[in-house]
Amino acid sequence: MKRPSSSTVMPMTHPTPLTLAELTERTGLDVLAHLERSLSIPVIDGIQAQGDLIVVPRSELPRVTRSPLAHWQDVGADGVELLRGANGGNPHTLVADRGTCAWTPYVRDAQGLTLCLVTNSAPAYLIHPEHGATGIAPGTWTIRRQRERGDPRTPGGARLVQD
Amino acid sequence: MSAVAPPIPDTSRQAIALAHAVRDEWLGHGLATLPADRARAEAAVTELYRRLGQPPPRFLWTASPVAAVAAVRGSLPDDAPASRLRQRALPVCGPDLPVAGRLASLCSGLRHRLRGWAGRGWAGRGSQPRGGRGEFRENVDDPEAALRRGTPLFGVVDTVVHTALRASLADAVRAPLRMALLPAEGPPPGLNWHGQHDAFWIARADLAARLGGRRQLWPDSEQVWPWAELARSTGWWWPGPALCVMAERPVETHTEPLRDGGLGGLRLHRDDGPAVRFGDGEELYALHGTPVPRWVVDGPTPELIHGETNVEVRRTAIERLGWDRYIDEAGLRLVSTAADPGNPGSFLSLYDVPPRVWGASARLVVATNGSVEPDGRRRRYGLAVPGYFDDPVAAAGWTYGLTGPQYAQLQRRT
Repeated sequence: MKRPSSSTVMPMTHPTPLTLAELTERTGLDVLAHLERSLSIPVIDGIQAQGDLIVVPRSELPRVTRSPLAHWQDVGADGVELLRGANGGNPHTLVADRGTCAWTPYVRDAQGLTLCLVTNSAPAYLIHPEHGATGIAPGTWTIRRQRERGDPRTPGGARLVQD
Repeated sequence: MSAVAPPIPDTSRQAIALAHAVRDEWLGHGLATLPADRARAEAAVTELYRRLGQPPPRFLWTASPVAAVAAVRGSLPDDAPASRLRQRALPVCGPDLPVAGRLASLCSGLRHRLRGWAGRGWAGRGSQPRGGRGEFRENVDDPEAALRRGTPLFGVVDTVVHTALRASLADAVRAPLRMALLPAEGPPPGLNWHGQHDAFWIARADLAARLGGRRQLWPDSEQVWPWAELARSTGWWWPGPALCVMAERPVETHTEPLRDGGLGGLRLHRDDGPAVRFGDGEELYALHGTPVPRWVVDGPTPELIHGETNVEVRRTAIERLGWDRYIDEAGLRLVSTAADPGNPGSFLSLYDVPPRVWGASARLVVATNGSVEPDGRRRRYGLAVPGYFDDPVAAAGWTYGLTGPQYAQLQRRT
């Protein structure tokens, strides 16, 4: 898909809710054909999951801390690929209007589940080819991935889930 | 926010493009399934023997590594390729070592010098790249981003070629084939090389030679060519004093892109037959990189699953059978069910897994995907959780490192 030139990009902070069709048009990212594109994407102010990824308000996980050397990086409209599926395709991509959302992968998490911290002043979106898109309300968020118990003979062993 | 990065020079871009081309070329050789080019392979082996001061060996061609091992053992004792090296019997100095031992010295010396070449890429940053494995991975995912962060060019291109090919060919193909095809018992069949499956380190030499024209980083690349010829022309081989046993390449090798696909790597996978098959019928089954017994692909049943000791094989087999059928047929006891927060109309089910199934007490939380598949269904999936959970919501929360009350606040699942 051709990316729209910057002059034609309508900001994602447009007052009316975005539809999946509009978001895929603006980001150049695509989703599978069977997903309904005309529905507007809900913007969630709370815990939400997209497949093996979960978005949690940072205040819920006080023990996950930013590494002292971490710096916040801007999430441009091209987006940031947070995680790819087991078969090599199907990434979870975070997108937002330039200057409205920053992220850092440099975190300390004793459980080893945190992918990144995100802070946004306008809705940011998670897009995935199979799961579609979901909106993240302004705030500061911890994005984690999923684990399952590993070999039960290894107590405490867990492995990360591959979607 | 990030500072403005200096532009990447065209020469660096060209080096990265070259690295991708070198990687793809050698990956092609590594996965080739054409009959061996016997004349070419024999010429290369003869040249290696010549460098050791040995006369050309006789050649015996076999259809698979299994047949080759049988031939090596059948050729004992007179023609024995170097079998086990007993310390007592070890010759004192180099020239008295068996052919395979001296070839191994030749080869490891070459690879040592290559590592030195690759190591130069990290000069000025200590002997190791910063950031450990994560840094390597990023280099391959986005070489230009790695350059912008200050990773030296040689480090980046070496990772694109060597790290990716080692993961694909040595770890994902060669290692499971060795496990499956070489005997675990009986007299060791002796040192062998793997022809096409050794291409990962030869690709590094190729890259060094093709990049080093100006810098003369790689003075003896001509030493590589017999090894490169073997990687381009044949499968595995066992060099003996007077006889070299050669194995044909597989006639089929099936793969899929490796997880975190940015590595450009792959793993063995085929769900309707063997992932690797040789001309004489020797084969290896593998699903998504997990080597499995044939029954996992052809007809998994709870009985076979419970009798399997390997957890990965067991999980792979359950997924193959389908969670519903597995739970049903294995008679897992339902502990409790709860509405799935954020996933209206769906339920979380917690099952008790008998110790005889997984070897220890465990539970299984089975959930339904938040989004529909292209066929209109919602896929169910099961995740193993510690055995102390009674509440499916708390168990599901644990999978994200959240408490039950936290997970109960889930607003939306897609």
